[in-house]
Amino acid sequence: MNAVTPTPTKLPPSQHEFAEIIHRLEAGGAMLPDTPENLKQIIGIYKAYAVPMDFYWRNLLYIAERVFLNPLPAFKYFLPQDYLDRHNHYAGEDADLRIWRGEATAHPELLEFMEKGEVKRKLPKLLHHLWHDRINMEFAEACMRAMFWHRNMGGQFDPYLDTEEYVANADRAIKAYFKGNPVMLGLYKLFPDMFIEQVRQLSYYSNLGLFWEVMAPVFFEMSDLYDEGKITTVPEAMSFLVNGIFAIAGRPIYHHVYIRGECYEIIPKSKGFMWLYEAALPYVEAVFYRTSPFRGTKSYNAQAKQVPENQDDFHYGILYADVFPVGSAGIPPTLLMQDMLHFLPPYLVEYYQQYCRGGDDTLIQLGVTFQRSMYCVTSAVIQALRQALLYPLDDPNPEHLQANRAFFEAQLNRLTRPEARLRDIQSQDYR
Amino acid sequence: MLSVLIWFPCFAAVIIALLPKSLDLKRVRLSALWLSGITLLWTIGLVIQFDLSNPLLQYQESLPWLSDLGLDYQLGIDGLSLPLLILNSLLTWLAIYSSRIDTKRPNLFYALILLISGGVAGAFLAQNLLLFFLFYEVELIPFYLLISIWGGAQQGSAATKFLLYTATSGGLILAGFLGLIWFSEASSFAYDLLLGQTLPLNIQYVLLVLLLLGFGIKTPLVPLHTWLPDTYVAASTPVAMLLGGVLAKLGTYGIFRFCMPLFPEAWSNLSPLLATWAVVSVLYGALAAIAQKDIKRMVAYSSVGHMGYILLAAAAHTQLSIVGAISQMFAHGLILALLFHLVGLIEAKVGTRDLDVLNGLMNPVRGLPLVSALLVLGGMASAGIPGLVGFIAEFLVFQGSYAAFPVQTLLSVVGTGLTAVYFVILLNRTCFGRLDNSLAYFPKVHWDERVPALILTLLIFILGIHPTWLVRWSEPTTTYLVAEAHLSTPAPQSIMANAEFH
Repeated sequence: MNAVTPTPTKLPPSQHEFAEIIHRLEAGGAMLPDTPENLKQIIGIYKAYAVPMDFYWRNLLYIAERVFLNPLPAFKYFLPQDYLDRHNHYAGEDADLRIWRGEATAHPELLEFMEKGEVKRKLPKLLHHLWHDRINMEFAEACMRAMFWHRNMGGQFDPYLDTEEYVANADRAIKAYFKGNPVMLGLYKLFPDMFIEQVRQLSYYSNLGLFWEVMAPVFFEMSDLYDEGKITTVPEAMSFLVNGIFAIAGRPIYHHVYIRGECYEIIPKSKGFMWLYEAALPYVEAVFYRTSPFRGTKSYNAQAKQVPENQDDFHYGILYADVFPVGSAGIPPTLLMQDMLHFLPPYLVEYYQQYCRGGDDTLIQLGVTFQRSMYCVTSAVIQALRQALLYPLDDPNPEHLQANRAFFEAQLNRLTRPEARLRDIQSQDYR
Repeated sequence: MLSVLIWFPCFAAVIIALLPKSLDLKRVRLSALWLSGITLLWTIGLVIQFDLSNPLLQYQESLPWLSDLGLDYQLGIDGLSLPLLILNSLLTWLAIYSSRIDTKRPNLFYALILLISGGVAGAFLAQNLLLFFLFYEVELIPFYLLISIWGGAQQGSAATKFLLYTATSGGLILAGFLGLIWFSEASSFAYDLLLGQTLPLNIQYVLLVLLLLGFGIKTPLVPLHTWLPDTYVAASTPVAMLLGGVLAKLGTYGIFRFCMPLFPEAWSNLSPLLATWAVVSVLYGALAAIAQKDIKRMVAYSSVGHMGYILLAAAAHTQLSIVGAISQMFAHGLILALLFHLVGLIEAKVGTRDLDVLNGLMNPVRGLPLVSALLVLGGMASAGIPGLVGFIAEFLVFQGSYAAFPVQTLLSVVGTGLTAVYFVILLNRTCFGRLDNSLAYFPKVHWDERVPALILTLLIFILGIHPTWLVRWSEPTTTYLVAEAHLSTPAPQSIMANAEFH
């Protein structure tokens, strides 16, 4: 994969508040400063994120394809073996495009954790579940709901959910699923919109599952390359992401449901919805930028206009999130941090021991690291968009370079509000 | 046996003071802990052997000293002094435990604390007025040094203020004692000798007012309290624990031991005024606490308010109210020590006591969650929430005082409500809310730093759930005290209404 070649800017200095960062982006860098410490943190956390993500994507697809409209989905997080054995399309010998050199089935560390959990004892699965000694799928569902709740973030996938074709496909699946169940069919007759809306949500389950199916091997491979000394700078890590985005941009996004051995194509692959535009970009917009205020972290008074009236202006995503309240029960960042905590590489565990409260506040330290790493991912997305829509960084035409700069400045304008952590991550002391 | 409680800490103070300066700070602290621990164990031994059915003085010791002056070495213990002795020994040990590992000039610091412990024990045990005065005054210089050398901001002026006020307090008490001897023409300062003396009512008024002012400064009661907030705030955590937990009790102990029994008629006649004075202290302390921005100052003002309950109980002087007052002295000592310890921890970790800056300390990872939880519990205990020792003490005070002074008692209950108000303010701003990112890099609280708070919390819980273990020590003595008081003077009509408690 080709790395973006950093080139010195040929334009006069930017007057933007984040001029230094814009110059860095123009030189092929990331919003995150290029330091060995930052690189170690983001690669380590990508690995720790990828292991639970390997569970997230499998479970999201399981819910979308198999659990479907189960009115009492008490065991939806109990992933059956065939979904753990399911081959990732971007890892293993039979991959469509082999991004990770590892196995296509579930990651060994994930399997080990699922068996013995944090308590390191093999207990009945239900006990691990009730003790919350498991992968927190609630986080994955929170991300899915953020995408589903905001909707209308561009692309063709979301408008398709409101088409008659989609409703007809969903209708067939619903009737097949509840065949022989007069109660549920009666309810469907009474409240059809409610059921269709549930299917739309399940389509977003599928969307996110397919998105993360790609990201997990990308992060695993980055971790392996770092361990082998083949990724040595933050821009190299970002470039790997940019190239990865383009390599799998065309991956189809679909929603299939399996009922009694028969496949119902609610969103067929033939619709041509592409991973980059229908999953990756809406995901970044919904989860990195917008989401919604996390319960339990801060109270907002909507009547006093503390919450934006326009959903486009929401700014509660990971790029803005205050991760310091992490540790409070039930809030999505805490759930994710808890998941990543189980799979930290040893060098990152050792690193966290050296700062703040050592091992006692690893949850928050890794939360801040995760925030740094997501600024790197966002940088990759910005660079990818610039590459797709605008001009090369080494373009000789100053007008083109000016257009690039305007694009970067517009992107960074979203991060000028005080809640954004862009200023914080410029310093290594933000932990 | 009782002398050990006085002289062993003094002996220990000398040992600590003479330890080589090159000795590791931890070893000096450990030595002080061991030595104060022996005193604590001795006190526990005393408690175990204490005869609960005997309302009179026990383990009496008497040695002639300066008999020409009427000063003899006379010691004794009863249900009034026993809980305070336990409090003294316990809080001394906890204060030493909660001291900073890097305390400068540790030999002098721990020696002074041990000296105070011996002096306070002497004051609680003395059965000779002049001997009491000597022990009462012994505290002055060690506390002055502890505040001025190891204190925080403005420790110099706070220590001087403390010195001036408490010296005045001592002067007034000495004047009262001397007046008592002169007017009663007694040959000795022996407490039991003076107890039977009857003075003209006018003389009683004068002497009682002198003693009340003297002990009122030490307690302190409004408006004699102005030394307290500055002193408590300037003092380091262990010294604040001793100031609030032990020293203040010398004032209330003096009221019960000397003011009430030595001048029974004057006490009965002045009791409505005293009850009103108590209410003023309660409400002023609570309202002043509400207005504070510094959490240590808030806790200090809460102490002013809570001391008012004890005066109210003394004014009512029913058996129940006196049991309540003794319980309140003990409970207040535990709760205040807990609060000062926690406030000290917060200041040490966060670097501020400012209510406008503190926030979100309940954060489970980066905050001080256990400290915050214990602070919530301390606030609840102080506000008299059932199940905690503060409730038992305050309930007994109010129950015992209501028949005698219903209006003042009800107003004091309002004071309890106000206690809840300022603690809610304190807890809401300090513990809850969002942890500020720019501040949230506090060092972690180690387990050994939590130990004093956990011990105090355990006692607050145990005595709150099983109050018999607290009140049974003082019940026989209070029964006797009240009976004696009513024999020597006709009780006012209002007190007779409470006859069922007699």
